[in-house]
Amino acid sequence: MPESHALIELEGISKGYDAPDSGAPVYVLNQLNLTVSAGESLAIIGPSGSGKSTLLNIIGTLDRPTGGKARLDGQDLLALGDAALAELRNRKIGFIFQSHHLLPQCSVLENVLVPTLASSDAAVKQGAEERARKLLDRVGLGPRLTHRPAQLSGGERQRTAVVRALINQPKLLLADEPTGALDRAASDKLADLLVELNKELGVTLILVTHALSLSARMNRALELRDGALIPATSETRA
Amino acid sequence: MTPASLALRGLTFHWRSHLGVLLGAAVGSAVLVGALVVGDSVRYTLHRMALMRLGQVRYAVASGERLFRDKLADDLAEAVQALAAPVLQLPGSVVRSDRAARANNVQVLGVDGRFGKLGDGEALVPGPGEVILNERLAAQLAAKFGDSVVLKVNKPSGLSRDAPLSTEDDATIRIRLTVSAIASDLGFGRFGLQANQVPPFNAFVSLKALQKAVSVGPRANVLLLGGGEAVALEQAEEALKKTWTLEDAELEIREVEIPAAGKALELRTRRVFLDGFVAEQALNAAPGARGILGYFVNEFKAGEQTTPYSIVAALGPPLVPEDTKDGEIVINQWLADDLKTKAGDRITVKYYVMGPMRKLEEQSSTFQIKKVLPIEKEAADKELMPDFPGLKDAQNCKDWDPGFKIDTNKIRDQDEKYWKDYRGTPKAFVSLKEGLSIWKNRFGDYTAIRYPFEAGAKEKLTAELRKNLDPKLAGLVFMPVRDQALKAGDQAQDFGQLFIGFSFFLILAALILMGLLFRFSIERRASEIGTLLAVGFTPKLVRRVLLLEGMGLALVGGALGVGCGIYYARAMLYGLSTAWHDAVGTSALFFHAEPATLAIGLCSSVIIVMFTIWFGVRSQARRPARELLGVGTGVGSEAASAPAKAIWSTWTGIACIVLAVALVAWAGPRRDEAAAGAFFGAGFLLLTAALTLGAALLAHLGRAQSPQLSAAALSVRNMARRRGRSLATLGLLASGVFLVAAVGANRMDPKEGAMQRTSGTGGFALFAQSALPLMHDLNSPAGRDAYTMTKKDLDGVSFVQLRLHAGDEASCLNLNRAQTPQLWGIRPEALADRSAFSFSSFADGHADKANPWLLLKKTETDGAVPAIGDANSVTWALGKEAGDTLDFVDERGKAFKVRIVATLATSILQGGLLIDEDRFIERFPSESGYKMFLIDAPPERAVEVTAYVSERLEDFGLEASDASRRLAEFSAVENTYLSTFQVLGGLGLLLGSIGMGVVVLRNVLERRGELALLRAVGFKKSTLRWLVAGEHGVLLLAGLLCGLIAAAVAVVPALRSPGADIPYESLGWTMAGVLVSGLVWTWLAVLLALRGNLLDGLRSEGA
Repeated sequence: MPESHALIELEGISKGYDAPDSGAPVYVLNQLNLTVSAGESLAIIGPSGSGKSTLLNIIGTLDRPTGGKARLDGQDLLALGDAALAELRNRKIGFIFQSHHLLPQCSVLENVLVPTLASSDAAVKQGAEERARKLLDRVGLGPRLTHRPAQLSGGERQRTAVVRALINQPKLLLADEPTGALDRAASDKLADLLVELNKELGVTLILVTHALSLSARMNRALELRDGALIPATSETRA
Repeated sequence: MTPASLALRGLTFHWRSHLGVLLGAAVGSAVLVGALVVGDSVRYTLHRMALMRLGQVRYAVASGERLFRDKLADDLAEAVQALAAPVLQLPGSVVRSDRAARANNVQVLGVDGRFGKLGDGEALVPGPGEVILNERLAAQLAAKFGDSVVLKVNKPSGLSRDAPLSTEDDATIRIRLTVSAIASDLGFGRFGLQANQVPPFNAFVSLKALQKAVSVGPRANVLLLGGGEAVALEQAEEALKKTWTLEDAELEIREVEIPAAGKALELRTRRVFLDGFVAEQALNAAPGARGILGYFVNEFKAGEQTTPYSIVAALGPPLVPEDTKDGEIVINQWLADDLKTKAGDRITVKYYVMGPMRKLEEQSSTFQIKKVLPIEKEAADKELMPDFPGLKDAQNCKDWDPGFKIDTNKIRDQDEKYWKDYRGTPKAFVSLKEGLSIWKNRFGDYTAIRYPFEAGAKEKLTAELRKNLDPKLAGLVFMPVRDQALKAGDQAQDFGQLFIGFSFFLILAALILMGLLFRFSIERRASEIGTLLAVGFTPKLVRRVLLLEGMGLALVGGALGVGCGIYYARAMLYGLSTAWHDAVGTSALFFHAEPATLAIGLCSSVIIVMFTIWFGVRSQARRPARELLGVGTGVGSEAASAPAKAIWSTWTGIACIVLAVALVAWAGPRRDEAAAGAFFGAGFLLLTAALTLGAALLAHLGRAQSPQLSAAALSVRNMARRRGRSLATLGLLASGVFLVAAVGANRMDPKEGAMQRTSGTGGFALFAQSALPLMHDLNSPAGRDAYTMTKKDLDGVSFVQLRLHAGDEASCLNLNRAQTPQLWGIRPEALADRSAFSFSSFADGHADKANPWLLLKKTETDGAVPAIGDANSVTWALGKEAGDTLDFVDERGKAFKVRIVATLATSILQGGLLIDEDRFIERFPSESGYKMFLIDAPPERAVEVTAYVSERLEDFGLEASDASRRLAEFSAVENTYLSTFQVLGGLGLLLGSIGMGVVVLRNVLERRGELALLRAVGFKKSTLRWLVAGEHGVLLLAGLLCGLIAAAVAVVPALRSPGADIPYESLGWTMAGVLVSGLVWTWLAVLLALRGNLLDGLRSEGA
């Protein structure tokens, strides 16, 4: 069962860009607040350009807000430097993108192990390969360990990316349109997998999606509109 | 899995895209390694040539016209247990018997088996009647085994040929010999004591035969020591001190019989006048020493009575009593009778004193007769007459040849009778003090020193003189020729550096191309980097992985480059031996690569390639992961840089232009180092201006809002989009064009402005050199008459004559670093009066710009001899600059310094240092005559005068040619360097234009989606091609234009100088080649990138 303390706390988060003509800032996120508990699964939905990916990037420390406060597992994200953020990402966050972004030159197993290279934590490194094998077995890729990404189907590539995201046993899994590039069957299979992993491993899952069926399977769904999050209505969720 | 294995995976997986990078790295490395290997090869060649010309010789004594016993070599060899050989080396010329070919400036070398042993290989020994020619001389004469040749050899003279009392008639002898062999380089054919990659003309003849032919007895003037165990210089000098005899200093102690007064010992020299340092020691060597100066006078006159041509002796008692006052003279009875005078009468003595160029000034002194002596006892001493070469063996007065014209009509019967009865017995005697004040000269003060005779005195005197005299003072100085030769090669012009300089742009272009390719390959892998960053890699770790990958490429590329570099070096050496032959003057360049050089080349290229890759990777890993992963907003691209940056760029550009113009204005019409500095400075500033203003313009274009969107506006927008890439293309082309064009404009046409006094010819029409020295003043009627040249034929012609002390050729024609350059003695007034040549620089405190030639006359506080040299010789051949000093050793073994007080702009006076003639004579009194000539002649008669003087002075081996031709030979070296640079720079530009194609390809591939969209909305494919080609064509043209403008402005100082010769044609072709090549590559890239169905790209983007 998921733990109940807040893993993510966003308070008054804003993100704006200068307009090319007037130079006045245009806000994508405006005084946004969000709290996500550990073990929770959350879907963020919203129209294109509403700032979903930007929000996910801020949570994942790939981007910085122009205002507000952001905490992850009690740590103030805005107080950390680039190196500390990289380490934080490596230890606590796993990413899944719409495109798998696997390294074409590495095998499935190697791709999964790539994040361990960036870790300075011996404990993480220890048994990483064993863990990778188990996880890959778990997602049905046991027989594909030595295959290159080019030799996999779209669904398999995305499952590899999921395992890569989990290899360092993160507390938070962020998925940006994870099923966006998959067909229906592969999408469903991946959705099942994410939900199962959320439950089995207790990892907090936040995903951005247009797929209503996927959002419906999360504990909670929020809609990003006009720079703020509002609970998704049954219309938007269904 | 480690970062290294990840890098290795990247390396192997992306091998196709790395191929271009690898090629770029290999080209850069090959050019670098090749340049270094060219340096190795030239150094090795010089080293090998040095060893070939010296064989096993370590030390050499070269005493010029001073001769020593050839047995001295054996004595020395025994003393130091080494090999030693005497050589009689005389300047000469050789002509084929059929007169079909001739060679001047030939080293005629009298050698025997001892010389052969010092060679490294099978040195041939000529027999009597034979001559062995070295390969260069044989080629010049087209002579082969069995051919007959005539050698004309300068006969060494005891008394300097400069002295009027020395004869000229026997100055040269002719010997007809048969060619018995051709000496190869390995057979000691290159033998020579001067460092030069071009071997001298060597004619080897039998030592004994040559000694006999020039009547010097068993004497030699070069002593070579070497072979076996290395002998230390000090050891050799010590051995010389032990083994030398007075005879080796051309001194002789003999017993003379003085009538009715018994025997005396007399110290004499073959050189007639005893050297000052000998006289000084000799006068103190034994008690009772008396100096004697005998002189030949033209006339005694008392009233109307005259007595012609007689000997006068200046000496002390008993012939000239102690109480003899100045102005008093003692005469013998015969003279008193002949002049009808007696004691107390006054007589006038007329005699010649020696001026420069054998100019005789007749002077006279009047004396009162103190005493008349009968011709008996000491007054009948025939030995008081010095051994004047033209007098001592004459049977009668009419056979006299005192070295100047005598009026034989003046010689009467009684004079002949006196000569017959008393030979050269002096007719008059003056005090030594009086005699010295009138007749002492640069060759010495005394003609003999006498000592009382007693048993054992001769041995004692000999021992005393040997003890006190330093053989060095007699010219017996060991020179460490082997060390000097190796040093000359080691310090030679570093062709490695030179070729790195020439290849600089080629290396730069290869690196830029490689950097671009690597960067593009990394850009294509942006999502990969983004993923690494997203999963927690720090940018540093990402950079490390990419750099490791780059290091693999650098190592493989570098290793490939080393292999290719060896072939590149061979190609360059082939170029230097053929098309660029003028730069090295030899076709015998040996390939040689030191393992250390290859290692240095490899390491350097790996470091450079790594740096280039680091430069490309640096910014890529700095980009945020979201941007790399393509999940960001895409804002913040290059085009949207801050306007403040553009303003800064604009002001920087303007400042650079202002500074460049100021520099060019300051440099004025100069061609010196300051101008060269200004040239590069201005060029650099203008290029910087082009790039910064280009950056500002692109930034402005990127921000500009077009009122109406057009295809052209779209092109402009695209150029501005990848500003860094556009600027790199522009910068690469502009700097390449600038370098090639600007360097090309520095070519010199020596014929341009050659008649101007300020030009490199000094305004002289002809330059001549003779194998044998000319003694007379060629401007005086008497001098011309001496060489049967008439006033009519030389109407309007004048000569500036230079003395020459042999040394290393210090010009760009000699690759070796000249250790002791040639010294040329000149009368500075001759050039000052003509305001000849242009000065380039002056030593501190010597800037006498009004009359710089007279600096040669100034006295330096430290006693150094002031010298002027050509700036190129001073800088490149000597490695010195104005104000520096060089060490020399004079004829007497005394060290002296020469200070370079000023340098001349590129001139025909490359090769040596000019010093004042008087100072030359002081230091090299035995080196007689003139061997170099600057000749003024009306331009329309230059050819005629060349033929005339060459024919009249053929016996002296004189070769005259256009002064501009000599300048052309020197300019050819510089121009060849420039050609080499142009060729390699052109190759670099070609590579740059390929880089342009790569940029185009990359740009178009990146924009395939956009272009597909344009196609989808109705643009024709051909329109798209022109659109893309157009925007890159503008960049290409802009690059060419910026480079050309920068070059044109920067070379203004060079263009203003006389002789500037812009190779418009070759430059035009180069630029056209670059333009065409650039356009072709651009077009090819466009075709390649836009091939296939563009709309597929659109669909895949949307997928």
